[in-house]
Amino acid sequence: MAIVKFISKRIIQIIITLIMVITVSYIMMYYSPGGFMHTSTMATALAPLQGQNPVLYQEVMNQFQSRYGLDLPLWQQIAKYIWHELTFDFGNSMQNPSLQIAGQLKQALPISVMLAFGSVLLSVIIGVPLGIIAALKRNSWVDYVVSTVSLAGQAIPAFVLAVIMVLLFGVVFQGILPVTGWGNWKQAILPIICLSAANIGVVARYMRGSLIETLRSDYIRTAKAKGVKYWPMIMKHGVKNSLTAMITVLGPQFAFTVMGTIWVEQIFAIPALGQVMQTAFTSFDYPLAITSVFLLGSMIMILNLLVDIIYAFIDPRVKL
Amino acid sequence: MASTVTATQSPDSAVSKQRRRSQFYQGWKRFKRHKLAVIGLVWVVIFCIAGVIGPWVAPYDYRTGDFLAINQGPTWTHIFGTDNVGHDMFSQILYSIRSALIIAVGATLVSFIIGIILGLWAGLRGGLADIIIMRAVDFMMTLPGFLFALILVIMLGRGYLSLILAIGIPGWAGYARLIRSLVLSMRDGEMVEAARALGASQAHIARRYMLPNVVGSMGVALAFGIPGDLIQIAGLSIFGMGLRPPIPSFGSMIAQASENVLGFPWLLYFPAGIFAITLLSFLFVADGLQEAFSPKGGN
Amino acid sequence: MGEPLLSIDDLHVKFSRSEDEVYAVNGVSFTIDANEALGIVGESGSGKSVTLMSAIGLLRENGKITSGTANFQGQNLLKLRPKQLEDIRGRDIGVVFQDPMTSLNPIMRIGDQIMEAMLTHHYAGRKEAFERTLQLLHEMGIPDPKSRFKSYPHEFSGGMRQRIMIAIALACEPQLLIADEPTTALDVTVQMQILALLQDLRRKRGMSVVMVTHDFGLATNFCDNIIVMYGGQIMEKATTDQFIREAAHPYSLGLKRSIIEVGHKGKEILPIPKTAKTLTAALTGCPFADRCNYTTDRCRQEVPQLRAFGTNHELACHHAEEVACYVR
Repeated sequence: MAIVKFISKRIIQIIITLIMVITVSYIMMYYSPGGFMHTSTMATALAPLQGQNPVLYQEVMNQFQSRYGLDLPLWQQIAKYIWHELTFDFGNSMQNPSLQIAGQLKQALPISVMLAFGSVLLSVIIGVPLGIIAALKRNSWVDYVVSTVSLAGQAIPAFVLAVIMVLLFGVVFQGILPVTGWGNWKQAILPIICLSAANIGVVARYMRGSLIETLRSDYIRTAKAKGVKYWPMIMKHGVKNSLTAMITVLGPQFAFTVMGTIWVEQIFAIPALGQVMQTAFTSFDYPLAITSVFLLGSMIMILNLLVDIIYAFIDPRVKL
Repeated sequence: MASTVTATQSPDSAVSKQRRRSQFYQGWKRFKRHKLAVIGLVWVVIFCIAGVIGPWVAPYDYRTGDFLAINQGPTWTHIFGTDNVGHDMFSQILYSIRSALIIAVGATLVSFIIGIILGLWAGLRGGLADIIIMRAVDFMMTLPGFLFALILVIMLGRGYLSLILAIGIPGWAGYARLIRSLVLSMRDGEMVEAARALGASQAHIARRYMLPNVVGSMGVALAFGIPGDLIQIAGLSIFGMGLRPPIPSFGSMIAQASENVLGFPWLLYFPAGIFAITLLSFLFVADGLQEAFSPKGGN
Repeated sequence: MGEPLLSIDDLHVKFSRSEDEVYAVNGVSFTIDANEALGIVGESGSGKSVTLMSAIGLLRENGKITSGTANFQGQNLLKLRPKQLEDIRGRDIGVVFQDPMTSLNPIMRIGDQIMEAMLTHHYAGRKEAFERTLQLLHEMGIPDPKSRFKSYPHEFSGGMRQRIMIAIALACEPQLLIADEPTTALDVTVQMQILALLQDLRRKRGMSVVMVTHDFGLATNFCDNIIVMYGGQIMEKATTDQFIREAAHPYSLGLKRSIIEVGHKGKEILPIPKTAKTLTAALTGCPFADRCNYTTDRCRQEVPQLRAFGTNHELACHHAEEVACYVR
């Protein structure tokens, strides 16, 4: 089966990329001045203790280092770490050694996944028809609105939009929609809108450009020469072909959306991956930081894989 | 009536320095037709001037707060109001503009320089260097630069230089790819081939065909790069990983204000509003440049 | 002879560009009878495709028909609403375009693309259309139609794709086939195959064909009558035999010479001097005046009209008699 082969090939690619991500972030964190990954930073931090009680000092050092595998040579540490991450054995947090990272993520991750995928879905569902209308009614008010909104969407990051939403629904239209927290579906509405807004514009803009280009192509002329009616021609020949051209640019765009979730979560105070990451990074909790980077990267690449699979289904020229 | 049959531009028509200069002039003319781009440019210029002269015109120091006037709405003494420790928001914003500009311009330059070096290397050397560099480009492009920026901040710290590097280093891939493609298109481009076939000298080819193309493409890329970096700086601050307090920044002002938006919404109006308008302006300018100078630009 | 199948009368077409207008077709009139093969020859930009495309409503967006009529089966095509034209295109008039690499929908199975023409016009039901598609593919010389039905355009060579284009154009058995440079994008040997196929289909079905081409030799081989166009005007119009024997328009002579002499070794190829210009204003003289060896002041001041020049032979040149004498 070609599709199975295609997917497994892509999964191997994803794994290689993730291994590189883990390696790069591990090395960087190993050499960072804050925190306790490197023996020397740990030693500096515990220097007072070393003077008072050398035995205890040695004990603390050994215990800490063996727990996080820091006593091994760097390459072994990395290899071990990669293996643990890829088998979803995330270990314990460094700041709260009693806390299992997996437990912390159990609640946070699904929320982030839902926000990211929900906004991607929403932006396609709204963006594609908008783009079609803008392309067909070129230079009409719909067209101007789409191009201006998409430019604005590209310029204004999700977190600024989130702030505006908080202002609007927290101050002006108080009580219509909740602006903080997580728990029921209503609290998902504003974050998803903030995350999608930019994408809706971008998707619509790409769709517009792509459809205009497609409608100028020779095979559209052939369809017209066949006498195909307007809407069948637009949908079957125009839109389907422009989707193939558009899908390829969506991958990077959605990567940015996933990134945007962690900002938007901050503003709306949603206990998801973004907050976990913030704690991890600001408190130098390396295992937690690397794990969250790993998960965020995975989300982005799985989204890309889905885009590629859809692409391969629409366009027969793609070699599986 | 003179001859009413006129020729369209033929390839052997005389080209001169004047024509080249007029290409930029034509671009400027096209840019001016773009109303939003011109408005954006005006704002960008004001923003940059505010960044440069900020410390001299700011009515208050950014470090000291007026404890007798905390969480005030806009008044004559504090036209944008004050925050929870009595910082004058107007002064805070002026200093934020300065810090944001320093980091954004610095980071864009860092990305650009790395991009030029690696892009030239890949494009001119070809072979293995090209393959490796382009693979690295692909790797960098799969993941958002912000992810790398976060990790780099941990390693480098939270000063001006560290932030410039943390945001600048991961941003090289796009520029490298652009430079490489420019190099390749220049080396084997049809236009250059045609010019060479017509007997144009190397220097002439470089001046007449390469320079406008290169300057245009790079200008557009840089114009899009700066607002992108501004977003990243603010994103880092929201994450609590931006410049160390007390240096003010848009991200930290927005993050702080959004925590208590119900009580003191004006603390959000000005920073968020100015930040959004600035990003929009940069983007309108970039968009205008693209349509004015990019060879494929426009609809 | 009865009514002509298609008669175009005094057609004018303009294109608007950002700064100016292009006068693409300037008063073209001709007819095509049932069973006739007409060749329209000219350089690119001579207005030959534009003439036909405007008749069937496939003009580019910026093109505008400023005057003229195009009567087809008693209807003026230029006055029809777009929906009525849709009914005629594909059913009564089939079109084959120049570039088979880009003229087929890349993500639609070729069988579906052929069937679509029949289904759109309710020419056949689903099952019948499928059977007919297989038959058409077979007729076009595509081996193993049943499995090729499901193939996509990129799985075919250029020649094969052009055969599919022809199958699409012929799906509803049109009375008129417009072939717009049908072989230009193909290899020479494939060109011959496609031409032979078209010739054969024309004979079997008794349809009319308008062959638009810049290839003078191809037109003389394939067509009964020939029209030479330049600057959006008809320069010369004759039966093929007469044309070969007694073409007298300097432009036609140039076209003829440019192919005849290529074959002879040692002889210099004599191209027509200079390149064609784009007309951005109404004509005030002969459009060919700038490139013609026989130009006089009159040519620049007075637009030559199409006039009889022997039986079944018309041309638009002030000096045709002198030129004819000089050449012969």
